[in-house]
Amino acid sequence: MKNKFFHLLIHIFLVILGVVTLVPFAYILMISFGKSIVGTQATIPKEFTLNNYIRLFQETSFLDWMTNSLIIATVTMVLSVVFVSVSVYVFSRLKFIGKDKLFNFILLIQIFPLTLSMVSIFKIFVNFGLLNDLKGLILVNATIASAGLVLLAKGYFDTIPYQLDEAAMMDGASRFQILYYILLPLAKPMIAIVSIQSFVIAYNEYVIASTIMTEGLDSMPLAVGLQSMISGQFGTNWSLYCAAAILGSIPMIILFYALQKQFIGGLTEGGVKI
Amino acid sequence: MSKKIFIILIAMIAAFCSMTTVRAESSTTIKVWFSQYKSENEALEQIAENYRIETGINVEVISRINIFNAANDLVNNSQLEDRPDIVFMQAPDIGGLIKSNVITNVNDYLDIEELSTRYSSIALDAFKYNGEIYGVGYSIDSYGLIYNKDLISEDELPTTWDEFFETAQALTVVDNDGVVETYGTLLNSKDIWFNYPIIKTYGGYYYGQFSNGDYNAYDIGLNNQGMNDYIEMMKGLMDSNLILTNKIHTESEIVSRFSNGKVAMILYGLWYSSMFKERGINYGIASLPDASTEEVSKALTTVQGFVINNYSLQKESAADFLAYVLADENQQLLIEAGNEFDEKLGTRNPANISVINSVYIQSDTILQSLSSLNDECEAFPNIPEGPIWYNYTPQVLQTIFFGENSGDEVNTQEKLDELVAKIAEDVQLINFQAERIDMPDNIFLYLGLLVIAIFILMFTRKKIQLKKKNIHSKKRLFKSTILAWLLMLPLLILLTIFYLYPIVHNFYLSLTDYSGINMLDYGVIGLANYKNIFVAGLDGLVKMVIWTLCFAICVVTLSFVVGSLLAVFLDSIHFRIAKIYRIIYILPWVIPTVITLLMWQGLLETEFGLVNQFLSIFGISNIPWLENAQWARISTILVMTWFSFPYFMIVSSGMIKLISKDLYDAAKMDGANFARQFIHITLPLIFRAMIPTLIMSFIMQFNQFGVYILTAGGPSSDQIGAPGATDLLITYVFNTAFNTKRYAVAAAYSVIIFVFVGIFALTAMKVNKKRMEV
Repeated sequence: MKNKFFHLLIHIFLVILGVVTLVPFAYILMISFGKSIVGTQATIPKEFTLNNYIRLFQETSFLDWMTNSLIIATVTMVLSVVFVSVSVYVFSRLKFIGKDKLFNFILLIQIFPLTLSMVSIFKIFVNFGLLNDLKGLILVNATIASAGLVLLAKGYFDTIPYQLDEAAMMDGASRFQILYYILLPLAKPMIAIVSIQSFVIAYNEYVIASTIMTEGLDSMPLAVGLQSMISGQFGTNWSLYCAAAILGSIPMIILFYALQKQFIGGLTEGGVKI
Repeated sequence: MSKKIFIILIAMIAAFCSMTTVRAESSTTIKVWFSQYKSENEALEQIAENYRIETGINVEVISRINIFNAANDLVNNSQLEDRPDIVFMQAPDIGGLIKSNVITNVNDYLDIEELSTRYSSIALDAFKYNGEIYGVGYSIDSYGLIYNKDLISEDELPTTWDEFFETAQALTVVDNDGVVETYGTLLNSKDIWFNYPIIKTYGGYYYGQFSNGDYNAYDIGLNNQGMNDYIEMMKGLMDSNLILTNKIHTESEIVSRFSNGKVAMILYGLWYSSMFKERGINYGIASLPDASTEEVSKALTTVQGFVINNYSLQKESAADFLAYVLADENQQLLIEAGNEFDEKLGTRNPANISVINSVYIQSDTILQSLSSLNDECEAFPNIPEGPIWYNYTPQVLQTIFFGENSGDEVNTQEKLDELVAKIAEDVQLINFQAERIDMPDNIFLYLGLLVIAIFILMFTRKKIQLKKKNIHSKKRLFKSTILAWLLMLPLLILLTIFYLYPIVHNFYLSLTDYSGINMLDYGVIGLANYKNIFVAGLDGLVKMVIWTLCFAICVVTLSFVVGSLLAVFLDSIHFRIAKIYRIIYILPWVIPTVITLLMWQGLLETEFGLVNQFLSIFGISNIPWLENAQWARISTILVMTWFSFPYFMIVSSGMIKLISKDLYDAAKMDGANFARQFIHITLPLIFRAMIPTLIMSFIMQFNQFGVYILTAGGPSSDQIGAPGATDLLITYVFNTAFNTKRYAVAAAYSVIIFVFVGIFALTAMKVNKKRMEV
């Protein structure tokens, strides 16, 4: 009886939070279907139309932007997973000189808000010939994502008992084999999180992209394209923007949905215990 | 299995390499940065093609994402191998570029006299600086008197400002309940852009002008008798329904009411004309009322036109092509494309007289009346000091018209004097040139070497301590050290390039006089920037540091607790339902923050916001979520928590999977209930694993820029230039530095903040490590 009551409480909490989360989203969705909306007051449109979505494809380079962003985000995601898996192994499993310092170093350099030193970033991109090139954005996003997520992944990896490594080593497994066959499968939730987060970082990165990608409307990533829709000198068409925002977030929702099972559902029936 | 991975990796690398775009490089190609509109770019490409056929010179037309970045991007790109020759930009942006020698004056390359016969005078005046012409206008972005023909006919339009207010008052209709049905006009009392013609009529002005038409930033007319008279007049109208009564409402409110057919006349441009059309508003645009029959009132105008890169290797060819583009028939092509041909959007208002007189323009009443306003324009000051007023006037006028935050009225003259003093101070700051220090040419190299040396020192110190240990373990340690560093090498290289270098370079910039009037040729001035900060700026900052710390800690703690709680809850319910919940909860994380923040802004509105409407059900009356300082602080913390809880939820979801069930079973044996289990087992365990992440999140919140979209740092302080209630350290210091274009000072600030937060983070890590060891 008590248990049932408790479950009810949980559900009430979840529903309330769900509503709080959904309300702003619902307004965005409604505005995206709204006809001739002025301003961003969260209002319910009087008339609904599909026109905004059609215009998005006809009048803007939305498809190009989305393609660019998908390329950037996907490659960034793969690179980040590789970087993070390797570095987290190093930090969590190897004893080496300068370990703490290196770890602190990676944490410390991230304090500096990169977005504020665009002059320097621009210089780097020029020197490496990466201007107006998706490759450059991929590299910088992969760096940002990896640097941030190593910290997260280490916390996770440290909770996987070292005895597992030792046992495997006894059986003659190489370091790579241990990482690949034992640790990474156990760290699937972590890898899923790293994938999603690196994807989101790369997909939404705006400041660097807008400085580096100076030429060609079609070669912009989505975040820059979206921003250009609201900073034009003419009245912002918020309906159009909302439509783009909704469509633009679909890849991330799909990715999340696909990876969700990695961090739920009986994964830890094995020997992992804290 | 590992083979598969290997192949995937190789394929990825190959794909990565093949993505390089090959650029045709030819020195005879003229490169033009143009517009964000497809048809306009296509029209210019057509013109370029014709030009190539006639002259054999190639022209490359580059579409751009928007015109506002043009100046900044030009500075970055001006000296590259692949540099633009001609750039389309806004006239108000040219001042800094001219002072920094980024654009060239076109007197020697173009026949200015001939152009002045074919172009509206504002097209050249807007690009005039120190008596020289630096570009030619193509489109004139101005405003006028927009009126609703259903509410007022063309003949009834006022010709003087006195008439304007009389007519407006006569047209205002209030119903029996005191609700306004129709507004004669609506003005924003905090604005001085659209109200500028009225202010000038009364004798107030922004910057005075020299006899040659140049603006004089040392002559500010915002505290003279005229300005006082203007404010008196506006104050007298506050209760007449002609002025916005909500102090946070702006032009968008006016436009929104006009597009609902509620306002007869507004002072505005055609930026929302398509919206007016869609809503069936029968609108027209007319010239502004005048000061008197002799004195014409002029609208503040932004002219968009072409400038030539001073570092162009082919200025003459570039100018030749520019002259070709400026020919009447080519202007006609461009303007028609810019207005989307038969749609006649009004997006581009021609500066070329022949185009103005063409059938295309004259046959459309809106385009025709818009272009007829060209002679009643005043170019927005193109000096680098131009935008300063914008940072202070809305705040000052708000206190003058609506009183201080406490509700007390202020003395108009005192407040205006304060405003002018502040603007004058910023003008000084912009033009302040510190003495340069002679530095060896390769200072940068030395600096780099120094940093590397420090790092080597840092990492080798430990080696010496380790010598005491036995040889066997030392050898093993040595081996794994090499392996570890080798494995980390790729990431370390990337970190050096994308993090370490910017930090070092930023430190170098903080020692220079890099600024808005010195964007390319900056030199080292030593510690002057730091001295300025510590002498002038620190007294007000302590309060901000406290608020910023409080904000960051609250947001991180709240989102961590809510996130972990959610993870536990979702773990305990049926997994299919949990799946749906999770998808909902990640929405704040994946939808572009700009739009969600704006939604929250709307939802938290005091009068009509959904949140207050909902609370009123429970009898809680209007909470000033964003208008009162304390409430605004709470709102920002809550909204930012809303943004970051999904991340913590997901991370915790992963973490709780690792917590042994035995722990819970043992706890249950001891009779611990759910809450106790959560607080004593789940939270501490997740917390321990997440400390580095929490520190990172703290840093990210510390450097949070999103708050600015929500509250713009407000509610603003009563004191000019002082931080608003929700201004975070970083947004505030950067705003102050960027307002005066002192980029080097901004760099110095970021170094100081870096050191401050760095010490904080390191201490946190140390404390944590000690606790873990104990």
